[in-house]
Amino acid sequence: MNFPYFCAPGAAFAGVVFIVSVAHAQGEPPTPTTPTPTPATSSSDERDIQAALAADAAKSDQPASTATPASSGPTAPSSGVQSLNPDISVIADFAAAAFSNDTHLETGAHDPQHNGFNLQALELSFAAAVDPYLRFDSHISLELSGIDVEEAYGTTLGLPFRLQARLGQFLNRFGRLNASHPHTWNFSDQPFALGRVFGAEGNKGLGGELSWLTPLPWYVELVGSTMMADGDETSRSFLGDTQRTVHGPKDLEYLAAAKQFFPLSDDWSLAWGMSGAFGPNPSGPGNRSAIYGSDVYLKYRPITSQSPLVVSLTSEWYYRRRQVPADIIQDVSSYTELFLRFAERWATAVRYEHGTAPFGVDGKVTDPLDPEWTRARQRVALALTHYPSEFSRFRLQVSRDMPGWRAASWAGFLTAELAIGAHGAHVF
Amino acid sequence: MFHKLSLLLFAALVLFVPLDASAKLELVATTPDLAVVAREVGGADVHVVALALPTQDPHFVDAKPHLALALSKANLLLLTGAGLEVGWLPTLLTGSRNADIQPGSPGYLDCSSLVSLLEVPTTQVDRSQGDIHPQGNPHYSYDPRRVETLAVGIGKRLSELDSAHKAGYFARTKSFVDGLRAARAAWEARLAKLRGEKVIAYHKSLPYLAEWLGVQVVEHIEPKPGIPPNPSHVAHVLEAARANKVRVILQQAYYPSGTSKLIADKAGAVFLQIQGYPDFAAGQTYTAYMNELVGKLAKALGI
Repeated sequence: MNFPYFCAPGAAFAGVVFIVSVAHAQGEPPTPTTPTPTPATSSSDERDIQAALAADAAKSDQPASTATPASSGPTAPSSGVQSLNPDISVIADFAAAAFSNDTHLETGAHDPQHNGFNLQALELSFAAAVDPYLRFDSHISLELSGIDVEEAYGTTLGLPFRLQARLGQFLNRFGRLNASHPHTWNFSDQPFALGRVFGAEGNKGLGGELSWLTPLPWYVELVGSTMMADGDETSRSFLGDTQRTVHGPKDLEYLAAAKQFFPLSDDWSLAWGMSGAFGPNPSGPGNRSAIYGSDVYLKYRPITSQSPLVVSLTSEWYYRRRQVPADIIQDVSSYTELFLRFAERWATAVRYEHGTAPFGVDGKVTDPLDPEWTRARQRVALALTHYPSEFSRFRLQVSRDMPGWRAASWAGFLTAELAIGAHGAHVF
Repeated sequence: MFHKLSLLLFAALVLFVPLDASAKLELVATTPDLAVVAREVGGADVHVVALALPTQDPHFVDAKPHLALALSKANLLLLTGAGLEVGWLPTLLTGSRNADIQPGSPGYLDCSSLVSLLEVPTTQVDRSQGDIHPQGNPHYSYDPRRVETLAVGIGKRLSELDSAHKAGYFARTKSFVDGLRAARAAWEARLAKLRGEKVIAYHKSLPYLAEWLGVQVVEHIEPKPGIPPNPSHVAHVLEAARANKVRVILQQAYYPSGTSKLIADKAGAVFLQIQGYPDFAAGQTYTAYMNELVGKLAKALGI
């Protein structure tokens, strides 16, 4: 039997077509309106308007976050234009920076690096479906000194058994922050732990990834990947700057991660992840490095009533152990940040970071990667962010760095972010 | 050996056994308006999940990972389209790993393709005009005429995906459309006096309601879509409210209300807050939702 409303030229079909046709015929097109000139508002009106706007600004629930044009994981920005061109977006991050100590200890490639004006990042992103089976995402960082392929990877869309594969150059899904891009961060520089453990660019490389969305009643995703352990800025703990050749699987980096999500209520969410990265360490024959991590993200955003409030707590911990001749060098680094969106277009955040001194099997050791890092380091940062729209952001950030091995120092940043092009999808 | 063979056999049975003809179709709707229509058209043959709550601004839903779980099991995804979910759905869709509901698949139904859209730009647009939708305005479900078309489109897709229950989808679609048509006639009669009425809205989310009822939205509290109001614009809106003798300031409950209330007070208008979407979880139907909306409008305007 056909579905009569659509497929059969029967009376029922004609009836529905009639219904719809008649219905539309009854509507009248809106008439353009030009408000007529009127007396100006009074000064008391103006005072009242200012007060009402201030109250509303503190109540709107529109997200105060810059758009995420196609650059935070395998997402698919949409375009309204019917074409086969990929979605294209550009995000620029500029900073005016002031350091109380010129030899500061910022570890990120996109962190402000010197007094005065800095180009933190100019990211050009392309994304599109390749065919019914794959999509492609790429993020190219244009820098004053050259071009860097941040990411360029294909993602499968429909492998069986809820599996998904990625292939290409990508940021490893270790923890929460490593796989993200600077424009999604609550601060204008990365936690020093990321630079200390993985390098200035974060842990990324050419490789492959397979992930599995398990059939458990709650969200559990298991991730496994392997990639080249290359580059001082991407595979620091694997001594990626060392010239070496891949002779077999043991010369590659491997990642295993489990990501869980718990919708505690409509308003409360909790994400918890555990990760491990393992790879070669050419400090001696057969030496290996391992990094273990755990990350927690707790978010409160009331969505059952109108409110601008968003509060989130993020904490990520890294334990690293590296075999070196006659010892095992270990350290623990972490950051914890509290984010508060208190009004429609305003947010603030505070971050505390800690990194232990390296320790060996029998106590204190010197880390050849950071020989000056002989005592614990702490850093505190405070940020105030204003979002004029979803596509621009201005931030004032002040931080106090307290490395145990030298005098404490201050850093202040005023940063601006501008995003154009396709509106990408945010990740949670 | 026997044990291993048994396990393999069991796995093969579990993984490759064809779908039970009596199994329900799994539907995921991005917004509650689509979900309530799908529930009525699908009846007992479907199980429907709505990703957004009726109290949420649908532009800004968090892409919570567990929503991808619902999508991973879906046979059919219904989205509002026209860019409404662009900020959150693509992440979930890719993460769902579900080939059946990817764009271009039979299980992917962009409902904006079923209705005629308003405010489709005819000239070059950019974001200096605010966070606009280049494909047209996505808030079409405030017009029951378009929802009739929507229900027909959903029914058609369900019957294609699940031909064994085609008769049921047909009967329920007809029943829904007939019921809505009758209700609409009553609403139109009740609100006939509204034709030509000038109102103010918060966001450009009411053009379909305005078109249906013959109402004119003379101003928006937002100076441009997605851009918060500023004092000079609010003063301009207040002037427009007074000049046009606006009797009602109308907006969804998920927008801030202070500025709207102020303008209503100063212009001698009624501030009317409407629920953004039908309450899907509470079992509210589309007709019941619109009935409530019409009743509020009539009461606010004393008709």
